[in-house]
Amino acid sequence: MAKAPYQPPVQSKFGQVFDSLFLLALVMAALFVPLYLGLAGGGKTTLEMPDKSWAGMQQNATMQAQWEKLGYTDGTEAKDGKTPAADLIAARFDYTFEPVELGLTALVVIGYFFIVFHWSKKEYQDVIDERFNNK
Amino acid sequence: MSQTTAVHGERISLLRVLGPGHVWALGVGIVLVGEYMGWNFAVGKGGAIAALVACWFAGLLYTCVAMIDSEVTSTVAAAGGQYAQAKHIIGPLMAFNVGLFLVFAYTMLEAANAITLGYLVQTVGSMSGFENTHDKPFIVLTIMFLAWLNYRGVYATLTFNLVITAIAFVAIWVLFFAVQPWSDVYMKHDQLLTGLPYGWLGVLAAMHFGMWYYLGIEGTTQAAEEVRSPARALPLGTMTGIMTLLIAATMTWYICAGLMPWEYLGQAVTPLFDAARLTDSTVLMVLLFIGTIFSTLASANGCINDASRAWFSMGRDRYLPQAFGAVHPKYRTPYRSIVFLVPVALVFAIFAPLDQVITFSILSGLLEYTFMAFNVLMFRKKWPLGTIPRGYVHPFHPLPAIVLLILCTATYFAVFLGYGTQLIAMMVFYIMASLWFALHRYKFVRRGAQFTMPWPKPVGY
Amino acid sequence: MNNFVLLEYAAWGISALLGLWMLADLIYTDRTYSEEMLTSSQEGDIEDSLVIDPTQQGGQK
Repeated sequence: MAKAPYQPPVQSKFGQVFDSLFLLALVMAALFVPLYLGLAGGGKTTLEMPDKSWAGMQQNATMQAQWEKLGYTDGTEAKDGKTPAADLIAARFDYTFEPVELGLTALVVIGYFFIVFHWSKKEYQDVIDERFNNK
Repeated sequence: MSQTTAVHGERISLLRVLGPGHVWALGVGIVLVGEYMGWNFAVGKGGAIAALVACWFAGLLYTCVAMIDSEVTSTVAAAGGQYAQAKHIIGPLMAFNVGLFLVFAYTMLEAANAITLGYLVQTVGSMSGFENTHDKPFIVLTIMFLAWLNYRGVYATLTFNLVITAIAFVAIWVLFFAVQPWSDVYMKHDQLLTGLPYGWLGVLAAMHFGMWYYLGIEGTTQAAEEVRSPARALPLGTMTGIMTLLIAATMTWYICAGLMPWEYLGQAVTPLFDAARLTDSTVLMVLLFIGTIFSTLASANGCINDASRAWFSMGRDRYLPQAFGAVHPKYRTPYRSIVFLVPVALVFAIFAPLDQVITFSILSGLLEYTFMAFNVLMFRKKWPLGTIPRGYVHPFHPLPAIVLLILCTATYFAVFLGYGTQLIAMMVFYIMASLWFALHRYKFVRRGAQFTMPWPKPVGY
Repeated sequence: MNNFVLLEYAAWGISALLGLWMLADLIYTDRTYSEEMLTSSQEGDIEDSLVIDPTQQGGQK
C-alpha cells in the first residue's frame, strides 16, 4: 500500500524574499563577526630583531639584491621611495596552541558531519520510500 | 523524456553546447589563477620547501578528488554537480550543505580574483608614476563584467575562458624557459632556500594554502547539463585538467623559489608577476601582467558560472526559494542566481583581506572533499558495480577515498594552525544554515520527486 | 586629475551600466514571461543529450 506523496506548501513571494535575505545576512555574519571582533588573523606574531640591517635580519647578499629590486630597503625608515622590509621579514605565524582548543575544534568538525549525515539519512529514507513506493 | 529545449514549448532548460575543451577550460580556468596568486601563502606558513611538499601532497589529494569525482559525475550528470550527487547518494541535508560549500568556495574564489586583479592594476598604475591610485573600481568592474558575460550565455562565456586560460598557461611556460631553469643566471635556489623556518609543523601547516594550487578543479561537474556527452567529456576534461595543474604548479614553485626570499614570497599578492619583474625584462613583465589578468578573469568567470549553477539547482529543488530555479528564455542561463550572487561577491571583495577570503574558500572546498570521500564509499555500497551504467570506474577503490580522508584531516589541522578562528566561524555558519534548512526550509521540498536518476532502489533501503 | 583617474571613473561608469543592464533585463524578463515557464527546467538526464548548433543559441529550433 503506497503512502500518498508529500505535498509541500507553496511558498509566498514574501516568504521567498525573506528566506533569501536571511541567507544573505547569515553569510555576512560569518564574514564580519570574526573580522569585527578582531579574532581573525590572531595567529600571527612578530620576531624580535634589534638589528634591522640586512645582515642583522639574516639576509644574505642574494636576498638583499632581490629585496632591493622588489622595492624594499633595510632599516626602519623608507628611503629613496623604497619601503622597509623589516615588517615582512619579522612576520611569523604563532603555531602554539592549547590541546583543549584543538580538541574542541575537532569536536565541532566531527560533530557537524555526524549531525548532517544522521539527519540526511532520515530524510533520505523518506525520499526513497516515496520514489520507489515502499510499503 | 519530457525535457525539451524549445522555448515555445512548455519547458525550457539549459543548453547542451559544450565539448571536452570547454570542460578543461572550466576546470583549469578556475584553478590556474592559483599559480598566479594565493599558493605562495603556503610559503609564508612553512617556508619554500614546505610549499613544494604541500604542492605535491595537495596534488595527491586532488588526484583522489578527480578520480572519485569522475566516476560519480559520469553517472550523476546534472547541473549542480556534487550537490546533485549528495542528493541522490547521501540525503537532502547533506545536499543542501554541499550546495552551500560549492557556492561559497566559488564565490569567495571569485572575490579573491577580483581583489588580485584590482591590486595588480593599482600596482601597475603606481609603477607608471600615478599617485593616489585605487583598486576598488577595477574590483567592481571585474565582477560586474563577468556577471554580465555569464548572464548573456554559457557558450560565449566558456569559449572566452578557453582562450584566456590557454594564454595564461602559455605565459607560465614562457617565463619558465626565460629564467633558464638549467642554469644559475636567474635561479638562486642555493642562496634563497633556507630550510624550514617552522620545522616539520610548518610543512603540515603549508597544506592549508597548498590546496590553492588546485582548488576548483572539481567544478567541471557543474557543466554536466550543458556538456554534449557528459559521460565522456567530464572525466576526460577533469583528468587532463589535474595533469595540467600538477605541471604548472611545480614550474611555478621552481621559478618563484629561485627568485624571491621566502619572507617576501610568503606575503606577495602577485608572485608570478613579481618573478617577471625580477628578470628585468619588460616583455616578460607585460606577458605575466596579461597572464595574471587573464587567469583572474578566467577563474572569476568560471566561478560565477559554477556558483550560479549550484544556487540554481538548489532553487529548482526548492532547497532555496524556488524563484532561483528560473532559466532565462533567451540566453538560457540561471539569470536570477547570477544576479543574486553579485552583491555577495562584491561585499567580500571590497571589505575582506585576501588571505581571509581565500581561507573561506579553502574551508568550503575542504568540507566538500571530506564529503566526497564518504560519498563515493556510499555510492559503491548503495549501487555496487554492475547495477547501474557508469561512464567511468576509478581504480583501487576504496584506497583513493581513504587517502583523501587522511589528507583532509591533515588539512583541517593545517587550517587550525594560524586560522583557527575562521575555521570555527565557518563551522558555526554551516551549522546554523543546516538547522535553518532542516527545521524550516525542508518543508517546501518535494520528497520523492527530487530523486531524478533512472536508477534502481539503493541496496539496503 | 590624471589619466589613471579617468580610467577609474570609466571603470565605475561601465560597472554601473552593466549592473543596470542586468537589472533592467531581469525585470523585463520577469514581467514578459510567466513564472511557470521560467521555472519549468527539470534536472536533466543523460539519455536526452541534445546536440544544438551553438549559433542557434536564441533557441529558434
